[in-house]
Amino acid sequence: MKLKVCGMKYQDNIESIAGLKPDYLGFIFYEKTPRHFNTKIPEISDNIKKTGVFVNAEMGTIVEKVNEFKLDAVQLHGEESPYFCSILRSTSLLSRPIEIIKVFSVKEGFNFEVLEPYENVCDFYLFDTKGKLPGGNGYTFDWSLLNDYPSTKPFFLSGGIGIDQIEAIKAFQKSEASKYCYAIDVNSKFETEPGLKNSSILREFINKLHNKKTMNYNVDDKGYYGEFGGAYIPEMLYPNVEELRQNYLKVMAEPEFQKEFDQLLKDYVGRPSPLYFAKRLSEKYNTKIYLKREDLNHTGAHKINNTIGQILMAKRLGKTRIIAETGAGQHGVATATVCALMGMECIVYMGEIDIARQAPNVARMKMLGAKVVPALSGSRTLKDATNEAIRDWINNPVNTHYIIGSAIGPHPYPDMVTRFQAVISEEIKWQLREQEGRENPDYVVACIGGGSNAAGTYYHYLHEPDVGIIAVEAAGLGIDSGESAATSVLGKEGIIHGCKTLLMQTKDGQITEPYSISAGLDYPGVGPMHAHLSKTGRAEFLSITDSDAMEAGLELSKLEGIIPAIETSHAFAIFKHKTFKPDDVVVMSLSGRGDKDLQNYIDYFKI
Amino acid sequence: MNRINQKLKEDKKLLSIYFTAGYPEINDTVSIIQDLEKNGVDMIEIGLPFSDPLADGPTIQDSSTAALKNGMTTEVLFKQLEGIRETVSIPLIIMGYFNPMFQYGIEAFCKKCQELGIDGLIIPDLPVDVYHEKYQSIFEKYGLINVFLITPQTSDERIRYIDSISNGFIYMVSSASTTGAKSGFGEEQTAYFERIGNMNLNNPQVIGFGISNNETFTQATKYAKGAIIGSAFVKHVTKHGIKTIDSFTKSILN
Repeated sequence: MKLKVCGMKYQDNIESIAGLKPDYLGFIFYEKTPRHFNTKIPEISDNIKKTGVFVNAEMGTIVEKVNEFKLDAVQLHGEESPYFCSILRSTSLLSRPIEIIKVFSVKEGFNFEVLEPYENVCDFYLFDTKGKLPGGNGYTFDWSLLNDYPSTKPFFLSGGIGIDQIEAIKAFQKSEASKYCYAIDVNSKFETEPGLKNSSILREFINKLHNKKTMNYNVDDKGYYGEFGGAYIPEMLYPNVEELRQNYLKVMAEPEFQKEFDQLLKDYVGRPSPLYFAKRLSEKYNTKIYLKREDLNHTGAHKINNTIGQILMAKRLGKTRIIAETGAGQHGVATATVCALMGMECIVYMGEIDIARQAPNVARMKMLGAKVVPALSGSRTLKDATNEAIRDWINNPVNTHYIIGSAIGPHPYPDMVTRFQAVISEEIKWQLREQEGRENPDYVVACIGGGSNAAGTYYHYLHEPDVGIIAVEAAGLGIDSGESAATSVLGKEGIIHGCKTLLMQTKDGQITEPYSISAGLDYPGVGPMHAHLSKTGRAEFLSITDSDAMEAGLELSKLEGIIPAIETSHAFAIFKHKTFKPDDVVVMSLSGRGDKDLQNYIDYFKI
Repeated sequence: MNRINQKLKEDKKLLSIYFTAGYPEINDTVSIIQDLEKNGVDMIEIGLPFSDPLADGPTIQDSSTAALKNGMTTEVLFKQLEGIRETVSIPLIIMGYFNPMFQYGIEAFCKKCQELGIDGLIIPDLPVDVYHEKYQSIFEKYGLINVFLITPQTSDERIRYIDSISNGFIYMVSSASTTGAKSGFGEEQTAYFERIGNMNLNNPQVIGFGISNNETFTQATKYAKGAIIGSAFVKHVTKHGIKTIDSFTKSILN
């Protein structure tokens, strides 16, 4: 159901309410109300329909206001005749097409026959409460009267609606009377004074109306994010995964565990990682860009946050042998590192192609004492390395823990990995408060392969509706090129590596081989949480080609003196495709450093 | 009565053979099935190939990859199986991973299986609880038996649960492994076989994984109603082609 917020008056307030993304904002051009609108409308999103409200105004006045304020809709509250409506609708004096909303005040005994002459001359009806004044009078009418609604024209439900009516609205939505109810119209019940809306109460109302309060972006107790997730695993893996599922939250909540985890993150990883205001980049793109410096972690990427957590988990579960998959090699290095730290055996599966394109990381893993096993099947990249790691686990069910590096796999892996990575957004919150005086940026941005750095960057903002979430996928040579890894666009619901999520596949359900220049994003699926964020529209997904990513990596190097991993470079390419406002605060996850990609950069730019 | 249940009632130890549909050649499916029946095999698992077969070792992986390359799809397999019941009467089970079936549509898939005379399904990555909650009624509507796996690590409690959901047989994975990884049974396996045998489950058990010759077949069927051979048979057709299926089955059954 759509939402109209009516009776807007003050510029700042209009901007802040527009930030809640209502579908309509109403401006009352009627002098006898304290909500009379007599200033300018600030720049607001084109998705919000600006609605002029009139009471028996002259045609010329309405036309003038429509043209002056670029109104998208006109709401008529007086005794405007059907003829008046039809002329208004068709007059060539209007600079733009408008929707016409005709208002009727309803009370018991309301005769719906009065609507008939208006059927063909307006777009919507609006029903409010019959009272002394034009407008809603601040109390609701008996909505069951709408059971007799004889028309099929969509209507706005209005009159004294406040946050206390949420349950009544939900009941109404379920009733037959709401069949043609198109929108809810609110006004005085959300005001601190006439014309001044309370944005926090309105936000709560919107969240409740859209079930956002109950829209949960975290995993549910069965291991699902909406319809995605679960544990689609062969029985051979069940005891391992079940052991983990039963213990992971318990172990993570233990004070001793937390103490050891925090200590290692601080003394070994070097956390907190800085939140750095990128001045030159901000100037170039005329917005405020902060970089969350995960590249400065020990081993050069965010991956180690999770491997520290999981190795402590494995120890507590009595495991002695560690396996992992890796794409770019960052997770492999992070796993080999913590295994060295804990003196555990470490086997890393890595696609044969990735071994070739990430040679420095292969050497690092070997130096750290890990065994690197090439995955020779399929596309010989991350997907196949994951298959091999899973097969290893099937063959070694008792002593082995599988450290999955991404927010993917059977439940509880996506949630466990996300929780270990959530330290990223936890730090952003207090760091941003120190620097900007507020915890919530306007946007958080991260690149997504399976989605672990993204999950950590978003985690504490998932349920903050004023924080926009942007996920950047690898388009490879282009979405339509057949050489891509943009799962949210090209993927369909299916099962990969133990979970239901979006994945790239043939019509026949065979998983297809993705392509990206970056080994870390070269994966045909995406974590189930991200599939849910994509499906619900909570996150905006953008896809960036190889060439745009490489250029963005070079640009960041030259502007800020930071050479990013090619995975990370994808996120920085969005500024070429999306414009932010000058005072927007955009936090970028700088998920990894580019040392491992030096040869790729050298080859690409012929340096 | 479903052909699987009928077969399980017979007073003999059952030999069940797995092969990958579309391998070695795309159109070998029907003739492999017919030859297996002719040579005394009791039940057949027709492998629907998948790009990412997590529970399979290299032999079945490679045969799956080759079958997909040959052009095998769910549609093609169903086309090949049209009329199979005119020549073959032993139970036929389709074994495959969940995603291709999910994409075909579970209900449509089951309906087609019934039309073709398929008796059951084995889907290693469809967990028993998801099946129970979402798909059991569909399988039952189309008269299909779904077969679940248990392993040496499966708890007694879970085995009882799986037994309660099953209505054909239980697929006992002989050891913690992918297919074709091990051959021969040690004390650990026989202890496990005995443990399960003593549980007096409602459903008979058929042992798979690690059975490759007469010796392992005899060992397994000492404890269970039957045994399934997969990788060893796929290796045989890789090496000797599909004309010598009789020599393979003879070597098992003696």
